[in-house]
Amino acid sequence: MSSKALPLRQKFFTGNVAILLGFMGFGVVFAYFRFFHGFGSVTNLSKAYPFGLWIAFDVACGVALAAGGFTTAAIVEIFGRHRYQALVRPAILTAFIGYFLVGFAVFFDLGKYYNIWHALIYWNGTSVLFEVAWCVMLYLTVLGIENLPNVVEQFKDRVDLPGALARLNRPANGLLHRIDWCCGKTMAFFVIAGVVLSFGHQSSLGTMMLVAPYKLSPLWYTPLSPLLFLTSAVSVGIPMVIFEGTLAAKFFGRKPETELLSGIAGYVPMFLGTYLLIRIGDLAYRGVLAQAFDGSVQGNAFLVEFALFAVPYFLLKRDKVRSHPAGLFCCALSVILAVVLNRCNVFLIGMDMGRGWSYFPAVGEWAVTFAFLAFGVLLYKIGVNYLPILEAEHD
Amino acid sequence: MDINRRKFLKLGAVAGTAAVCAVAKPAAARELPDIDPDWYGMLNDSTRCIGCKSCMVACKKENKLPPESTLGDAEGFGAPLYDSPRELSEKTYTLIQLARDEKSGTESFVKRQCMHCADPACGSACIVGALKKQKNGAVTYDAGMCMGCRYCMVACPFGVPQFEWHNALPSIRKCTLCSKTRLEKGQPTACASTCPAGAITFGKRSDLLKIARERITAEPQRYLDQIYGENEVGGTCVLYLSKKDVAFAGIGLPPFAYQPVSSLTESIQHRIFQYFIPPIAVYGVLGGIMYYNQSRKKQAEQGGDDE
Repeated sequence: MSSKALPLRQKFFTGNVAILLGFMGFGVVFAYFRFFHGFGSVTNLSKAYPFGLWIAFDVACGVALAAGGFTTAAIVEIFGRHRYQALVRPAILTAFIGYFLVGFAVFFDLGKYYNIWHALIYWNGTSVLFEVAWCVMLYLTVLGIENLPNVVEQFKDRVDLPGALARLNRPANGLLHRIDWCCGKTMAFFVIAGVVLSFGHQSSLGTMMLVAPYKLSPLWYTPLSPLLFLTSAVSVGIPMVIFEGTLAAKFFGRKPETELLSGIAGYVPMFLGTYLLIRIGDLAYRGVLAQAFDGSVQGNAFLVEFALFAVPYFLLKRDKVRSHPAGLFCCALSVILAVVLNRCNVFLIGMDMGRGWSYFPAVGEWAVTFAFLAFGVLLYKIGVNYLPILEAEHD
Repeated sequence: MDINRRKFLKLGAVAGTAAVCAVAKPAAARELPDIDPDWYGMLNDSTRCIGCKSCMVACKKENKLPPESTLGDAEGFGAPLYDSPRELSEKTYTLIQLARDEKSGTESFVKRQCMHCADPACGSACIVGALKKQKNGAVTYDAGMCMGCRYCMVACPFGVPQFEWHNALPSIRKCTLCSKTRLEKGQPTACASTCPAGAITFGKRSDLLKIARERITAEPQRYLDQIYGENEVGGTCVLYLSKKDVAFAGIGLPPFAYQPVSSLTESIQHRIFQYFIPPIAVYGVLGGIMYYNQSRKKQAEQGGDDE
């Protein structure tokens, strides 16, 4: 049953890649204005909404949707479900790309981006953001290390540097062997560290907006917010793996790994159930459930969010839905949209700023966000095309 | 064997969830902040303010701030434009607004600026600690440390910190209580020393509270019997008095709770990272589960039993 992961080695410059580059081009245009003419020239941010799409989607959703990495790693490596080994490499690669883009997006959103390294030297322990920043930095490093064996595997014993550099072939190869040996010895340490760090910042993102008790709607302002963020992130991990796996199979013309994906989807109801139980219990305990039905934008946003979480919970319990590729994909998509809406609710829609303040992302904000998405997809294509990420097909 | 493993997994999951729950449960309300009686502050008496905006002029002059216009709002204002800002902004650290109480219909002027909280939410939120409570009572900002993340703007319940949206290299801007420019030289704040109506009193917070109390006792028919900022959000260095029939909420000072705004986030953070025990515990539990499963796998492989 064990097969080997291989680079795809398909033609790289296709029509789809051109579309991705086009999106990135648009983003670069707006990035110019953002960096040389200030936020006011590109965004609709205001004193009432200092956080916009770039924080709510690029950062908060980005981190949540990159949860596929740590959940898959935990299920396979820690909880010993080695049957799903084939899903680990793509999940870890996507998580790495996701966190890289989150870091990049933060860089875009920081007014004084050139001071980003200050998080390393000026410590303010009371700040939730400080903890998030450190966890994300460390986790990105861990993800880099977790991806290292793939790179090593690709080039080990195949080092062939051009021209004068050829003399370095042997030392380079020796170095690769060295890295390989080190990785093999220490990887378990990093796998667990990755999960613990993920627990840390996934939950802390939920603590972030609790600093504004008089602004955030009671539907989302709860001391349990960190736990809800953590459980929802864990819930969205496998759906992201399913979502990417299905799309990758479609766009790279491969056979979808339906059997594996529907197998691992069996864990999703357990996670979703935990999340829904805490969510409902918390709302009922605080007595704010009625607010969900008051017809306000926030109430309706909550209802949609809740439905997107609850429907796949019931559907994914059924074997029939799980083994049906389209049904599985739709359920995964529903969970993903639920988490995206939840993060947007906490960071934007649920923030009641009163008296005529409103926010809707400007064209420039959308353009930059889509550029990031396109960049992510492009990086994924580069990754799977040139590194041994996806399992070789065996028919 | 399989049942055993299932049981083990379930136990692990339950233990893990319990651990996380314990961690996420917020600590009891954090203690109220220690208030230094030597902190300076201001007492804004809205019964005395005549709305002349001299304080705004003095503030602009002191902080060398550029003028503001309504040029961008031509639609709402029509042809004649005005030079008065309507909100605090990166160019306006203090502002006089006219408010009308919803119940009584009484109008009063109210001055806005940084409240210089005893336990500032902006300072708690700031990732690098660029916003700090100083010994003289001012909450000051260090542009050199700041990363421009704007989390302070999210945290401040009074909407005080402002961002330079139209600057390529933006900073946060807000009232400094004239900490550097005047307090350190032994002078009162610019707005207080210029007010012709005696509506802004500068002094030590402890003295200001006494003065406010005296005013209320002397003219109970004139004043609402409450000093805003005495306890709200853990206490502020800028205090307010209001007219008898004007609730503080009516002049834009909401009835905030007495504990500091950041008490919940700080207690959660404190819980999770207390001596790093929770993360290490989670690490240990996961490590144990991994070790168990790995050794099981090895045993299975040695036994030639392929999964």
